[in-house]
Amino acid sequence: MSRAFQTGRVNWTPVLLLLPAIGVMMFVVALPLVFSLYTSLTSYRLTRPETIWDFVWFRNYERLFGNRDFWVAFGRTILFLTIALNVQLILGLGIALLINKITWGQRTLRTIMMFPMMFSPILVGFQFKFIFNDNIGILNNALQSLGWTDRAIPWLVDGKLAMFSIIFAEVWMSTSVFAILLLAGLFAMPRDPLEAAKVDGCNAWQVFRHITLPFLMPFAFIAMTIRSLDIARAYDIVKVMTDGGPAGRTELLWTMIARTAYQDARMGQANAAAYLSTILSIAFTYYFYLKLVESRRYMGGVQ
Amino acid sequence: MTRTTKKLTLGVALAALTAGGAVAQDWGDFSGYTLRVKLIGGAQYEPLYATISEWEAATGATVDILSRKNHFELDREIKQDIAAGTLNWCVGSNHTSFAPQYGNIYADLNDLIAPEVLAEFTPLLLEHSTVDGRLVQLPRHSDVSNLFYQKSLFEDADNQAAFLAEYGYELAPPETWAQVFDQAMFFADPPNFFGTQFVGKDEAVTGRFYEMLVANGGAMFDDDWNPTFNSEAGVEALEFFVGLYNAGAVPAGVPNYLWDDTGLGFASGTVALNLDWGGWSAFFNDADNSAVAGNVGVIRAPMGSAGLRTGWSGSHSFSITEGCDNKEAAASFITFLTDHDRQMIEARMGILPTRTAVWDDALAEFADAGNDFMVEVFSTFRTSMAEDAFTPPLIPEWIEVSNVLWPQLQAAMVGDATPQAALDRAARDAAEIMEDAGYN
Repeated sequence: MSRAFQTGRVNWTPVLLLLPAIGVMMFVVALPLVFSLYTSLTSYRLTRPETIWDFVWFRNYERLFGNRDFWVAFGRTILFLTIALNVQLILGLGIALLINKITWGQRTLRTIMMFPMMFSPILVGFQFKFIFNDNIGILNNALQSLGWTDRAIPWLVDGKLAMFSIIFAEVWMSTSVFAILLLAGLFAMPRDPLEAAKVDGCNAWQVFRHITLPFLMPFAFIAMTIRSLDIARAYDIVKVMTDGGPAGRTELLWTMIARTAYQDARMGQANAAAYLSTILSIAFTYYFYLKLVESRRYMGGVQ
Repeated sequence: MTRTTKKLTLGVALAALTAGGAVAQDWGDFSGYTLRVKLIGGAQYEPLYATISEWEAATGATVDILSRKNHFELDREIKQDIAAGTLNWCVGSNHTSFAPQYGNIYADLNDLIAPEVLAEFTPLLLEHSTVDGRLVQLPRHSDVSNLFYQKSLFEDADNQAAFLAEYGYELAPPETWAQVFDQAMFFADPPNFFGTQFVGKDEAVTGRFYEMLVANGGAMFDDDWNPTFNSEAGVEALEFFVGLYNAGAVPAGVPNYLWDDTGLGFASGTVALNLDWGGWSAFFNDADNSAVAGNVGVIRAPMGSAGLRTGWSGSHSFSITEGCDNKEAAASFITFLTDHDRQMIEARMGILPTRTAVWDDALAEFADAGNDFMVEVFSTFRTSMAEDAFTPPLIPEWIEVSNVLWPQLQAAMVGDATPQAALDRAARDAAEIMEDAGYN
């Protein structure tokens, strides 16, 4: 039987066994991708289904290349990603190292640490919108009561403060993802090199810098890859807190794309923008992948 | 039998008669039929849905609620249904601002609902519910904004004297927006107290700008659908908001405010004057939630420079899809949801009704209960609903035009552009949208 399949030069058995998986992948991934690529070349409007046949070649893309607001949002998304990821990594690393030191109540703390992840991003958005409200918000009230300021700070209006507020909300919600993954790394870490280093007279910083950190880096890059994909799609928090405003000061790619796609119903145009933004995600993922391979090679003792 | 007992018996008998009357109303027989509906959800809309079981009992039909979402999510879902060709449901919640976008997916209710039933609705609201000559929705409740204020501020003798000295006229609840401007500047004491406030983003700020534009004698478009909101009246309207913002007479965060921020802000007692929807009235006067309870006055929205009152209005409504397989059942269902008794349930919560008779009966009920505040609210809103209310242009492009306008309104507020430059840019973008849509 198996010989029958192996006739000729091709071994068909693995292909046949993989076929269902390939079929499912084609259906749930490739098909929608091809379909949205096609619609990005049409003037497709959601409310007028017949426009899906109105092929306009690259007009949607041409418009985007000439649209200054789009590129500003593109740049802002990169900035948002970079800052949020790095802050989350540093805080997550700190939390993981601290929790790793605890011997009593560690499990409880680990559970508590995951609370922010359990909230839906929309709720997190509302929560921070009211914390940062300039008139009735807790933050300004606290600052004024403590006598640190005598004016109402417009947290969600000033360009820089508004970005800060949104990044703060994002960091609050997702730092624990980093902490959990890095903590898993710390648990998996072998004791021998640490003890050997101590015997050799390394101080705590040297142990951290040359042993713990290199060991954790693959975990960090995996966390970075996953989070970069999530943050690049940041929508709910921004939508609720500022909806990209005021005057476009906090506009990210996805608030812009969602508005074009659903409120304006211009799905063709929105898909073109979404395709360009996918490039951003691919670039970040590729970069982190390279770093991951590099850090693993380092771990393998090549360097 | 004592006199009291007699009265009681009579009362119970009358109540039974009235109740009997309601049950006796023939909603039709649709035994075994399942009506598929998509309704707007949210705390203040739910009490009405609790009565759906009564309609089910009366008709033998079952109601399958496919979704219960807020308007923006429902809008997205309906657009997806249009795109995917899955409009396989019968009744959907709708809104006068959204309705024109949906093309002809909804049936003309003039053919489905008896003229004598339609005659019981406020005529202006049916007009607002009509798109291209087709009555595509039956108004459930409507809303318009009027001016709430803290009464004590206006009754204070020191305030009156100081205001007269500074502005040369008596301090009284304002009749014009120019007076609102003066009074807001007078009362403002940032960051502790503000003269007034307004919403600052999304369609909310577009609407506020739009009604001010109309009150100043301007218009969004000319007769050929060219944008004209960058006219003198438009700049004047925008300067009102920009002026208040720059002077610190409104909270510094207003460019980011939506309805919950302005509502909660006024209830916190830190704002003197607040233009807001009728739906907030009961909340403002509820001592559990509001620091200004018992101190709230309400007057008709003031007039702009052209002598017209602001009156941006919209109605929540119900529509029936063209593809519905039992339009008769659907029509019975939406008539039930908007009938007298159902509207009374919502009116008691302070939501504005769409049937003329419900206005009278709700007012009478509030008066009987000695609720002077709600009597004042309902009388004021009744007048403005009948005389001042107007909708945005009922065209499919309204939301899209709004989306190019509001970021520019914000730009003028936060000083990124002058009001004229901001409106010019928005008008250019709006002209492109109208051109793409084939208007000219």
